[in-house]
Amino acid sequence: MKIFLILNAAYIFLFMGCAHTLSNYASTSVPLAESFKLKVALASSNTDKTISQATDKTAEMKKAGLDDGYDENDEYGDYYDDSAEGEKARIADPIEPFNRAMYHFNDKLYFWALKPVAQGYKFFVPEVARISVRNFFTNLRFPARFVSCVLQGDFNGAAAEAGRFAINTVWGIGGLMDPSSGKELNLQKQDTDLGQTLGVYGVGQGFYIVWPIFGPSTPRDSVTLIGNLFLYPVSYIEPFYVSWCIWAYEEINSTSLRIGDYESLKDAAIDPYVAMRDAYAQYRMNKIKERKLKIEKTVPQGDGGSAVEQKKPIE
Amino acid sequence: MKKQQATFIVILILFAFVLQAHADTPLQVVEVNVNKVLDVLRDPKLKAPSAKEIKTQKLRVIYKGMFNEIEFSKRTLARNWNQFNSTQRVEFVELFEQVLEKAYLDKILSYTDEKIEFYKEILHSDKQAEVQTKIITSSQEIPIFYRLILTDSTWKVYDVVVENVSLVQNYRTQFNDILAKNNPEYLLEILRKRVKEQ
Repeated sequence: MKIFLILNAAYIFLFMGCAHTLSNYASTSVPLAESFKLKVALASSNTDKTISQATDKTAEMKKAGLDDGYDENDEYGDYYDDSAEGEKARIADPIEPFNRAMYHFNDKLYFWALKPVAQGYKFFVPEVARISVRNFFTNLRFPARFVSCVLQGDFNGAAAEAGRFAINTVWGIGGLMDPSSGKELNLQKQDTDLGQTLGVYGVGQGFYIVWPIFGPSTPRDSVTLIGNLFLYPVSYIEPFYVSWCIWAYEEINSTSLRIGDYESLKDAAIDPYVAMRDAYAQYRMNKIKERKLKIEKTVPQGDGGSAVEQKKPIE
Repeated sequence: MKKQQATFIVILILFAFVLQAHADTPLQVVEVNVNKVLDVLRDPKLKAPSAKEIKTQKLRVIYKGMFNEIEFSKRTLARNWNQFNSTQRVEFVELFEQVLEKAYLDKILSYTDEKIEFYKEILHSDKQAEVQTKIITSSQEIPIFYRLILTDSTWKVYDVVVENVSLVQNYRTQFNDILAKNNPEYLLEILRKRVKEQ
C-alpha cells in the first residue's frame, strides 16, 4: 500500500514537473473554441468579416507578441542571421524590364500553347507511359550529370550515374524503367548540372535573366544550356528540326506530369514575377549548398576546410 | 483492496499525462497535424463536392493550431514590420492568413492518396527546429520542410520550405519590393483586393 502511495507521489511530481503537458492540453482545446467562433462568424453574415474578426482577436494577439517590434537582435528573431534560414538568396536584376517582358512571353507560351497541348496529351496517354517516357529522357541526359559529377570531384556521384545508366539501359529497357533507384540498388539520380558545378567552385550567379522559352536563368546557369548542346545526345540528331521536335515532345511530356504547379505558384504570389525570381534564386542557392555539403562529406578534405564558408545544420 | 485499485487507476491516468508530454517534439507536432489533415482529406463521408465547406472549416481548425501566424507575418515583413502600427499589424496578419489559405487550400484539397514520409528533425537551437518531410506521389517526390519555433512551450510552424523554396523568404522578397516604394497602407490595399477576389 505504501509503495503505491510513494509511486503515486512520484507520478504527481513527474506530472507537475512537465509544465508543458498542461499547455499541450490547453492548445488542443484552443482550436475547438476557435472553430466555434468561426462558425459563429460564418453564421452571422457580416459584410466585413475581416475587420470584425480582427478586432475580436486584437487582445489575443497583443498577448502573443504582436506589439513587439521587429528586433534584429532578438534571441531567436535574428532574422538576418537565422541559423534555420542560412544565408539569404539574393539576386540582382539590372535588366528587369527585359526580364519582365520575357516572363510575360513565357507565361503566354505556357497558357496558350504548352499547357493545352500537354493536357490533350495527358488525356490520351496514361500516366505510367508518361513516367516511362520521362525516365527514358532522363536516362538520355546522363552524360551532362556524369560530367558535372566528375568536374565537381564527386566520384561517388559519378559512379552512381554510370551504374544507373548501364543498369537502366540494359535492364530498364533502354531507360524506360528505373530499376536503379529501387530499394535494392539504391542508385539515386544525381540532380546536378554544369551551372551548379561552377557554383560549387565559387563562381557567382551574376544577375537574373529570363530567356524566352528556357525561362529563369543567370549567366552562370546559362552554361548549362550551352553545355547541353554538346552533352545531350538528342542535340546531335540531324536534321536539326527533328532534334527540336524530340526536345519539344520531351517538354510536353514532362509538363503533362506537373500541370498545376506553375499555376499554384503564380496564384499564390502577390507579384508573380518577383516570386518566380526569388524562388529561382533560393532553389539554385540551396541546390549548390547541398552539392557542396555532399562533396565535403564524401571527399576527405585536408586544410581546405575553411574555403567552404557555410553553416552546417546542428543535428 | 479497493483503495489499491483506485491508486492504480490514478497512476494509470497520470502515466497517460506523462506520455502526452513526450508527444510534444517538433517532429510529432508536425506528424500529428499533417495526419489530422490527411484524415480530413480521406474521410469517405466528406468525399462529396458539397462537403468542401465542411472540409475547409475542419482544415482551418487544424492549421490555426499548427501555425504561429504572427511569427509568420513578422518574419515575412522583417524590417518593414516596424513601419506598421498595431492596427495595421492586426489587419496584415488576418489578410495574409486569408491570402495564404486562398492560395493553398485548393492544392491541399486535391491531395488524396499521396504518401508522406516524416524523416528528420533538426534542432537549430532550443527554440528553433526544422522537420523534414516528403510527399511521394505517383510521379514525383516533393520535399517539404517545416520550420518551427517554441512559443509558450508548444512548437508551432512559422515557415514552410517547399522544394528548397522558403515561403517566408519568397513573400518577404515580394513585400520588400512593394514596400521599398510604397507605404504599408498600399500593401494592405493589395491584400484586401486579393481577399475580395474570392
